[in-house]
Order: sequence, then C-alpha cells, then structure tokens
Amino acid sequence: MRVVVARQEFVGRAIDLRPRPTPIDGETAVAAVRRGGAEAGSDTDTGTDMAAGDPRVRVRCRPPGPVHEFVGHLAAETTVPLRRALAAAARSRGLSAPQDDALRDVRAELADCEVPSIERREARRRAAAAGDEVERLRERVATLRGRVETLRDLGREAEADEVAADLATAATRLSEVETERDAAAQLLAELEEREREARDVRERRLRLEDRAANLERAARRSLAASVYDRFQDAVRRLPGDAAPGDEPGAFSGDPVTAALAVAAVADVTAPVVLATRRFADASTAAARLDAPIIRV
Amino acid sequence: MLLVVTYSRAARTTLRNACRTHEGATIRQLGRAALLAETEFGAFLALRLREKHGDDVQIERTAPFNEFEAVPERVRAAAAAYESREQPSTPYTRFASGTDHPSPASMRDREL
Repeated sequence: MRVVVARQEFVGRAIDLRPRPTPIDGETAVAAVRRGGAEAGSDTDTGTDMAAGDPRVRVRCRPPGPVHEFVGHLAAETTVPLRRALAAAARSRGLSAPQDDALRDVRAELADCEVPSIERREARRRAAAAGDEVERLRERVATLRGRVETLRDLGREAEADEVAADLATAATRLSEVETERDAAAQLLAELEEREREARDVRERRLRLEDRAANLERAARRSLAASVYDRFQDAVRRLPGDAAPGDEPGAFSGDPVTAALAVAAVADVTAPVVLATRRFADASTAAARLDAPIIRV
Repeated sequence: MLLVVTYSRAARTTLRNACRTHEGATIRQLGRAALLAETEFGAFLALRLREKHGDDVQIERTAPFNEFEAVPERVRAAAAAYESREQPSTPYTRFASGTDHPSPASMRDREL
C-alpha cells in the first residue's frame, strides 16, 4: 500500500503516521482506506491520481472486503459482534457455509417476487367524499319536502311551487350523487380485491425473507464455528486478557483482544487502521496480525 | 377494533415495537398482526405504520360477529348438528347429504 499525508509519502505493509503536528484520527484514516480501496477496485492503476476526499490523507491499497467493516479500525473502545465478524473473517479466507446454495436460491426467488402496486388512497378519499355528499343532499331533500308540505297546508301555493322546483333540482342532484357514490364504492371494492391478490405475493415474499434470514443466521453460525479454533489460538497469543471459550457466545474478557484476534484470523486485504497501544510498533502489529497496518 | 396485518420484516418489527410502547391502545398482538383499539389513537398508530411501510401494512376495521344477525338459521343449525354428530370420522359432505343441511359448495357461493 501507499499512503500520502501532506505531501509526505509512505510505502509498505506497516506504516506509522505518528507523531505529527496535527495527528490523523482513526476515522479519517479508515475513510481514506475505503476510498482508496474502492478506487482500486473500480479503476485501473494510474499511480498519481489518488482518490479525492480529505486531501490530507490519501491511500492506495487493495479493496477492503466485508470483514474490513469489523476490523478496519481497531481502537481502545472497539467492540465487534463476534459471530458476525468471525463469519466475515471465514468468508475472507474463502470458506463457504452449507447453507450457501439454499441461500442463493431463496435470494433468487426473492428477486423474482414482484408485488404489484395498487394505489387506493384516492379511491378511498373519493368514496368517502361521495358518501358525505349523499348524506348532505338527503337532508336537503327532506328539509325542502317538509317545507313544501307546510306551505301547501298554509295555502301559500305560489311559494310552495317555488320550493317544489328547488326540491326537484335537489332530488335530481341526489340521484346523480348516489350514482357517483355507487361507482366510487364499486371501484374501491375492485381495487381492494386486487390488493388482496397482491397480498398473497407479499405473504410469499415475507416467508422468503424470513427463510433467508434464518439461513443467513445458520450460515454465520457455521462459518464462525469453522474458524473458531484459529480464533482461540489468536486470542491466546495476542496481547490482552480474554478467555475465548468454545463458541462466540462463550467469549469473555477484553473486547479489543477479540477484535484483534478476528483480524488475525481474517485474510485482510486493505490496511487495518490501528489506534491502540497493543503492539510495540506498526511492523510488529502487521506481523502478528498478518495484515497491512496503518498506525495512527 | 382495528386489525393491522404486516407483510414485511421491517413493518412487523415496527408493529411489535408500537404495540410494546402503547399497551393501552393494543387489544391483542398476534405475531405479525395486532388488534388496536378503535380510537383516534389506535387509528393514529395504524396510519403511522402505513405511512412508514406503505402497502406492507393492511388495516381493516372489525366488528363483533353476531350469527343471529348475519347468518341464516340453516347454517347455524348445520354447524351445531355436525359438531354433535355421533361418528367423529364422518366428513361434513357425507353428513349433510340426504339431509336438509346445506352443502359446502352452496355455502361457499353465498355471501353473508
């Protein structure tokens, strides 16, 4: 790897960026590693055009694999979810899990699961509005009818005829609005029916998602188990006070030691940013973790 | 009551958390579904779920089931008679044939 900090260039498998007038913090260094690695993964080598970002630190290195998410930055407060981290470490070594074929199938089925989207919100709004309008007009028709009767009883025929004309208009409007309401209700019912069918697909997708999650969990368990003896060895020979136990749930002791041991187990391609005093220097760390190291 | 059914892992998690946080508005929590109180607050919770997870959330409004109001006498009688049959192994279709009890097919075709 190659690291450039403020026009100063470092090359090698173990690089120490201390001491500096303004120290480089771990996050900055990790971000530079991930940018540099991503660029190396996507681009051909030009040697001079290094990834943009924080201009103070630039890194050229191999692309970080998934395990780098867990062990890319080792600091005094580092903790790793042990089973997940060990599973990623096992993958980095090219190991596979017995669930891999089934997982691939389930993921392919999931990718094929297309849930039709049926927009019903506007239909609901329309059906509700049409219902309200019917209610309003019904009340108006009833009121006008009452008034016509009252006027006729009082013998005020001219006025009664006038109100009767309003009543006829309102009654016509009511029947129109009732038709609209029925149509809106019908449309909504049809959309709901289609949504019910779409829910069968959603149901199937949820089952597949659950199955994928179970397989992933089982795969992690199996992968973590397959490297656990290496992990135990690493915990015993690396600095720090910890007892590995015989499975990830049984680990007890220093969480930083666990993270260091995961790094030692993994085949780490991109540099690990080390911000703890567990090793005398960067070269010792690189040798004992068998990984490229940037010490900050 | 408001019946809320979820159709994705994320929606299911949100529903479970909502039920745990708002026990007062939760009448029952049944795996990935829940019955919420028919209050504005119950509706508020249900609508928030739908805002967040779209059609992965189904909301229905339930009503108590009154068989004397909604179900014809012949269906009620058939259910009672079949559950007190003498031969537990008799399937309903055979039990009903040659009697006044409705056939499963005829019941399937009739909406309540």
